[in-house]
Amino acid sequence: MKIQKVFAALLAGTAAFATPAAAQPKTEITFARFFGACEADYGNSQDVAHARGECGVMTTLVNLFNATNKDNILVKPQIIEWGPYYQQLNARLSAHDIPAVAVMHSAQLGDYVRYVEPLDDMLKEAGIDAADFTPNARNAVTVGGKIYAMPWDTHSWLWHFNVGLFKKAGLVDAQGQPIIPTTVDEMIAQSKQMKERTGKNYIDIATSTPGDFANSSRSFYSWLYDQGGTIFPSGYEKADFKSPEVLAAIRPFELLAKAGTITRGLDSGGGLSTFLNGEAAIYLSGTWRIDDFLAAQAKPDSPLHEGYTTRVFPSLFKTQTVWTDNHTWVLPKGGTNPAQHKAALVFIKFLWDHNADWARGGGHLPARQSLMAGYAKLPLRNFIVELTNYGKALPHEARRQFGFQSMIGEEIANVINTGKTAEQAADAMQERSVGLLRGR
Amino acid sequence: MSGAILPAPSQRTATTGSGIGMSAWANMFFVLPYIIVVVALVIAPLFLGIWLSFQDYDMLGGWAGGVAFENYTNLFSDRIFLGTIRNTLLFVVMTTPAFVVVGLFLAITLNSHLRRHAVLRSVFFASSVLSVTVVTLVWRLVYLPNQGLLASVTNLLGLPGIDPVTSETWALPGVAVVTVWWIIGLPMTLFLAALQQIPKEIYEAAALDRASRWATLTSITLPSIRRTIVVVTLLEVILQFQLFGQALLITGGGPDNRSRPMVQFIYETGFRDLQVGFAAAASQVLFALMLVAAIVQFWVGRSRDER
Repeated sequence: MKIQKVFAALLAGTAAFATPAAAQPKTEITFARFFGACEADYGNSQDVAHARGECGVMTTLVNLFNATNKDNILVKPQIIEWGPYYQQLNARLSAHDIPAVAVMHSAQLGDYVRYVEPLDDMLKEAGIDAADFTPNARNAVTVGGKIYAMPWDTHSWLWHFNVGLFKKAGLVDAQGQPIIPTTVDEMIAQSKQMKERTGKNYIDIATSTPGDFANSSRSFYSWLYDQGGTIFPSGYEKADFKSPEVLAAIRPFELLAKAGTITRGLDSGGGLSTFLNGEAAIYLSGTWRIDDFLAAQAKPDSPLHEGYTTRVFPSLFKTQTVWTDNHTWVLPKGGTNPAQHKAALVFIKFLWDHNADWARGGGHLPARQSLMAGYAKLPLRNFIVELTNYGKALPHEARRQFGFQSMIGEEIANVINTGKTAEQAADAMQERSVGLLRGR
Repeated sequence: MSGAILPAPSQRTATTGSGIGMSAWANMFFVLPYIIVVVALVIAPLFLGIWLSFQDYDMLGGWAGGVAFENYTNLFSDRIFLGTIRNTLLFVVMTTPAFVVVGLFLAITLNSHLRRHAVLRSVFFASSVLSVTVVTLVWRLVYLPNQGLLASVTNLLGLPGIDPVTSETWALPGVAVVTVWWIIGLPMTLFLAALQQIPKEIYEAAALDRASRWATLTSITLPSIRRTIVVVTLLEVILQFQLFGQALLITGGGPDNRSRPMVQFIYETGFRDLQVGFAAAASQVLFALMLVAAIVQFWVGRSRDER
């Protein structure tokens, strides 16, 4: 009897302090993403307009959604470093620990298409107008005529310039802008001039850990596409790394390494700090760094204060083409119950409505055609806004694109770091591609 | 009281004669939880892994049927995989003796009741509690080409630069140094425990006989802890065959595959390239190598004991 009385008193006390929110528990949805963790800077911020960089914008958007949504939804981010993100996602899918919403590069979508929900009807249900997708974004999320993801951006590969070092090296035009090389020979000559006059490396690239290997493969794909080349000339079950175009796309790295004008053995942190400290003239990275470097340029004590600019990864061959990819949002099958499914659609609609914030702070091109004109007016974006017209990606039929990206990047890193020749690297790529495409 | 604890005579003899009695079966329940865990988490995955190694199984594409020994024949014609066997064996050869020699040296040096030695024991053990991520973050700063601590020290001393991240020669030794620094605490502690078991009277007798320090070490200390040396060696052989995190995070397995261990190959093949059957075959090769190395080590240690 005594225990019953105590229990009843506890229940009564709980009821007295209960709030409407406690009476109706929140619908929690898990949100698997990379883009980094920056709780120290943005842990409580909801000020999306002032958030900078991918991490800042993404963290702030989730904070804002959790604080303002009217549907009692709580988004729980699951943040993973981008390098091992897909390995972890694979393990989670195998173990049926499936997130409600997950970020996915469009390059990976072909491998995962059996595991994600087709979204044509769901996008309509959520109020997302697929007619507003840019052509690049639509192509990126469409597999076999169906939409399997909500596009979030188009991102691509750039040269980020320390304009001060270019001025010091005498490599600027009348307007004080960097002279962009148009051939391999011009680039090597520029790199030597930079080294002689400033003592600094011309190209800064991270090449030491698996997460860094994408840097060299994105450069490789860009120079390969510039020549009209492909690694799949006869279908997607056999790769060919023996073509002259492949060798020509690797050769610039060999020449830069021989000239001693490219950084060696740096990881991503080392590469970034090298550029920010003014120790290299050109940093090879993507659209996602623009806002970070603009912020650095604004600081009076920054080596970039004298000038920072960016251009699409330049063609050294006959046409201008460049590697592109897209961040997209997918709803993995089995990741939600009906209530969570509804909540996930509310959340991706919220993201859709904030696509302009992502394009500003994240640096990427928006996935919405209606935002393009506004994007072009942002700092430096006039130099890159056209790239959706000539950007190129492997089609979804090409399997194991992550494996190819890592393998190609690792072999080019070997050219940069160990003195391997372009021919040796191409031979190794050919051999390793057979293993990558083995099996079903 | 004690009489209540002792089993009745009939119970004590229950396992003799007609076979296992009721109480023995009841005793089995005490080990049942352990057996269930071992079967579920070790034995079953072991056999599942062996079965998988004969299949074409894609992590996302699913099962495409048996392929007999094809995964194994492909493995032994794969230049990257053969490189990982070389790297892993070299790594075990580099690190295991280092763990034994350095661990023993530290243990002998710090085997006293002095306060400063207790502090030093804690210091040497402290790195073992760090995660591989923290350890590799620190050492990446040490190894950073041209800007890291190692480059600064060699430059200061006018020595030729050693660059473990980009040097095919120094990559694996670089990872080995990190590993020994990181987990030297365990062998040191095992040796310390063994040293403290040696009766002091033996050392007193040796002192009376005016035995030198070297003679005391080789004739008393080392023979007395021989079994611990075998245990530490066995343990380290098995542990170092499983090298993974340090190599992945410091060198990424490079340059040119010179520091990629077998476990990294298995991880990349299975979880990145999705070829689970192929990765399972590589796992069986690693398992076989570890088993052979452990048996050889155990046999060598036992033979010495018998002699």
